[in-house]
Amino acid sequence: MAGDGRIFLLKGRTRGAPVDELIFDLLFFLVPLIVCGLIIGRTVERRHLAGLTEREAANSHILITQLKSFPMVAALGPDPALVVAEVVIASDYLKTFLASWRKIFGGEVKSFSRLQTRAKREAVLRLIEQAKAGGFNAICNVRLDTVDIGGATSSGKFPMATILASGTAYCVGPSL
Amino acid sequence: MIVTNTETVAGYEIVELKGMVQGNTVRAKHAGRDIAASLKNLVGGELKGYTELLTESRREAMQRMLAQAQQLGANAVVNVRFTTSAVTSGAAELYAYGTAVIVRPVQ
Repeated sequence: MAGDGRIFLLKGRTRGAPVDELIFDLLFFLVPLIVCGLIIGRTVERRHLAGLTEREAANSHILITQLKSFPMVAALGPDPALVVAEVVIASDYLKTFLASWRKIFGGEVKSFSRLQTRAKREAVLRLIEQAKAGGFNAICNVRLDTVDIGGATSSGKFPMATILASGTAYCVGPSL
Repeated sequence: MIVTNTETVAGYEIVELKGMVQGNTVRAKHAGRDIAASLKNLVGGELKGYTELLTESRREAMQRMLAQAQQLGANAVVNVRFTTSAVTSGAAELYAYGTAVIVRPVQ
């Protein structure tokens, strides 16, 4: 709980401590963490997004639907199979910091919106990759659920996007 | 065993319903993963430890569900759903449930 420790430290020092010590704390704890999030977090995110776009383009021929039926199902082909994928992506310190500011004024938390979108795109791609490995070329009934790992209600929980995706893989082709 | 999350199976017809089957598991993540996650939360990126935890839980829950289906003499489980809940901080439940059926290829 690095974030919690910092807050505790700040509170501990502000009680009866001079203001310049608070500023010292801010400079030595908060700023490096934000810079860390700014540089590494942004790089990780940019790389992930580029990878997602590339993989999505490579898999654009796979038919993805969330219909309960099997649209354009092939007359012959392997038995349909369940595909499931999990993704847990952490927020970085800058995002968490921006969100805490946004909470004061209200409005869209863009940094977290992007995080959630990344997790969902990644989850669907993992479904596709599993389906391809099984020799399928379509997925129907795609479901994206969020998962609560270890209690979002507990204090000091780190913001993260957790997705559990499931679908049924099958083959498309000349219909039955 | 055919497993799908759709109500039907393409190319097959359901000839017998065996009832609902279910499997669940509550798993805790160990402290090491928590520490790794807290560090990862500074820079962002995938929390592989938690992803693995989820994968393991899901496999376990599904295995239990399929064992039940086998006991009932089913050859397919349709309409499989997953739900999760956080039992306490540090432990998550994964619950898989579906309908066990007997399917036959369509002539």
